[in-house]
Amino acid sequence: MFGRMVYMELRTGLKGLIIFGILVLIVSAGMPLIFPTYRDSLIEQLEGANKVDLELPDEQGGMITLSWEPLEAATSYMVLEDNRLSMVTAKLKCMINETSITFEKDFEEKRYYAVMAVLDETSDPVLIGVASTEKGEDPLQELLKNPAYAGFTGGRNISMMEVKGFVALEYYSWTWMLTGLFIAYLAVSVIAGDFENKRMDVMLSAPISRRRYLLEKFTAMGVIALFIVSAEIAGLTWGLASINALNEFSANAVLLSLIGCLPFLMVIAAVGVFTAVFSQKVRTGMGITFAFVFAEFFLYTFGGFSKSLEWMKSISIFKYWDYLSVIFDDLFKAGDFILLAMLAIVILIIGMWVFEKKDIPT
Amino acid sequence: MQITGFMMCVVGGRGLEKEKVIEMKNLTKMYGNYVGVKDLSLMVYQGEIMGFLGPNGAGKTTTIRCCLDLIAKTAGEITIFGLDSHKDAVTVRKKTGYLPGDFGLIPSVRVRSYLKYLLSLWGCNSTKKMVSLAERLQLDLDRKTNELSKGNKLKVGIVHALMADENLIILDEPSGLDPLMQQEFYCILREEKKQGKTVFISSHNLAEVESVCDRVAIIRKGQLVVVENIQLLQEKTGKVLEVEFRDPFKIDEFRFEGVSSIHRDNGRLVLTIHENLDSVIKVVSSHQILNMNLKTYSLEQLFLKYYAEGEVDEGGMDDVR
Repeated sequence: MFGRMVYMELRTGLKGLIIFGILVLIVSAGMPLIFPTYRDSLIEQLEGANKVDLELPDEQGGMITLSWEPLEAATSYMVLEDNRLSMVTAKLKCMINETSITFEKDFEEKRYYAVMAVLDETSDPVLIGVASTEKGEDPLQELLKNPAYAGFTGGRNISMMEVKGFVALEYYSWTWMLTGLFIAYLAVSVIAGDFENKRMDVMLSAPISRRRYLLEKFTAMGVIALFIVSAEIAGLTWGLASINALNEFSANAVLLSLIGCLPFLMVIAAVGVFTAVFSQKVRTGMGITFAFVFAEFFLYTFGGFSKSLEWMKSISIFKYWDYLSVIFDDLFKAGDFILLAMLAIVILIIGMWVFEKKDIPT
Repeated sequence: MQITGFMMCVVGGRGLEKEKVIEMKNLTKMYGNYVGVKDLSLMVYQGEIMGFLGPNGAGKTTTIRCCLDLIAKTAGEITIFGLDSHKDAVTVRKKTGYLPGDFGLIPSVRVRSYLKYLLSLWGCNSTKKMVSLAERLQLDLDRKTNELSKGNKLKVGIVHALMADENLIILDEPSGLDPLMQQEFYCILREEKKQGKTVFISSHNLAEVESVCDRVAIIRKGQLVVVENIQLLQEKTGKVLEVEFRDPFKIDEFRFEGVSSIHRDNGRLVLTIHENLDSVIKVVSSHQILNMNLKTYSLEQLFLKYYAEGEVDEGGMDDVR
């Protein structure tokens, strides 16, 4: 009867599964809970950013005026200049005792200015704020448009001041690593483990075909993936309810956005199954499957860097779990869901074909 | 080929009466350039216990695993219960119990649960035989699988191989039980045989299976060396006479019917005698004897002889007949 191996797989891995489920539940519930604190600190930071004001000239070659609110404890002010928002290559523009400076705009590209208050010799300078030469730009929102972040936002203008934006960027953008790698680990180890621990002879001496063996193992992965996703849904919904944010981020959106993760996880599971039967070794199989997951992620990220690289996104499985569309546009892409499910099945069938051809090692 | 022909002749009579359970024809398994099994033809009949002997690396496990479709054969045919071992692998396994030579258990579950799980894969709900076998082998079903000793692990494997009441039982080197348990195990096998079950048991040690087997097949370097009925083999082994003479002798003096092998070994005369021992002794006594030793050619020695490289190629069974 089909399902015996599924049951045994779940039974033997129950403890680990419960521990992981609790971890997922805590993370999922905890993330919305820290949102109010985060939002409050962000408001403070944004207020700080507004403390620096930059007046641009109407014409090229005119004068720029940079002014800021004075800080009582400051002995002097330090103005840094960079053409990157990250300010990692910033150069010192000037040290000044006044609270404003005026200088000629003799450049065309966008530049950023950070003003820091120098307190005394023993204390580090304090950031007063950041301003850019682009009119009406909020530096923090601009940061989110950076290609490095674009993968997480889908090019949307996501506000971290809203619970949707916060959860999308601080929870959805990395939980794939937690759940995806867990499924990858399980899918490889339950099969390659049978090879390495010499259980395969016993399993396959039973009157079950190799195809059924893999199908049962894969089904077990499906049940586990469903369990993990359910823990995510339950945790996130509970967390959002706790901060009274379900009117902004509905339980339905949580459900649909995370259900989309199921076929995504099943593709990873199928790759794990394939590498397990191909390599027949836990370490090798796990290495290849983990590499696959990260490669897919980098393809998706690099695909956002420029239009000429967009094809990379198309071949990444991350593109087809579009939780942002559900969260921000109330759009569940059933086509993507089916596409990922079909891909998982195709990879599984290839795995079965390889398994049929391979000798079982002693 | 001569040996195979002989084998077919000896077992042929039985084969006409009894159903073939395993039939291998020219089975070959290559691992790259390495020969696992080459051109092996063998038949196992219903209701017999067949020993499959050979030194380590001879190809016993390879043959068994080909039968169960765990590895793909390179050439040849294997039919079990008249079914193709590859195409009908699932049906074949439904009727076959198998104890692998080396196997692992699902960790951290009770033996009872583990065995019940395996029973369920055979679609068998009754645990009666499982419990009975465990009792006879003194296996505690409530122990956890990761707490078992090597011997107890083997008992789990034996119970697994027999509990679903399959018609064919394949055991790959089931050694490692203590002597009392080993006897009980053989007793169980004999009972299975009485019920019409077929047992195919591999070993590298004849002494272990001699008492339970009806026939034995010996394999060396992937090739079948001999297939023989145990009783006939015992009759054929004869006695070996080693004599050192003070005076010269001629080999022709000792040519009698029933003397299968005559040769000099460092001045000693070595004879293998099946009949006419009296005539041989009389000729020997006509010489001045320096030293003399008459011994029974035990089965174990016979098999060691087969195991030893080169021996069989020079004469095979004819050498001892």
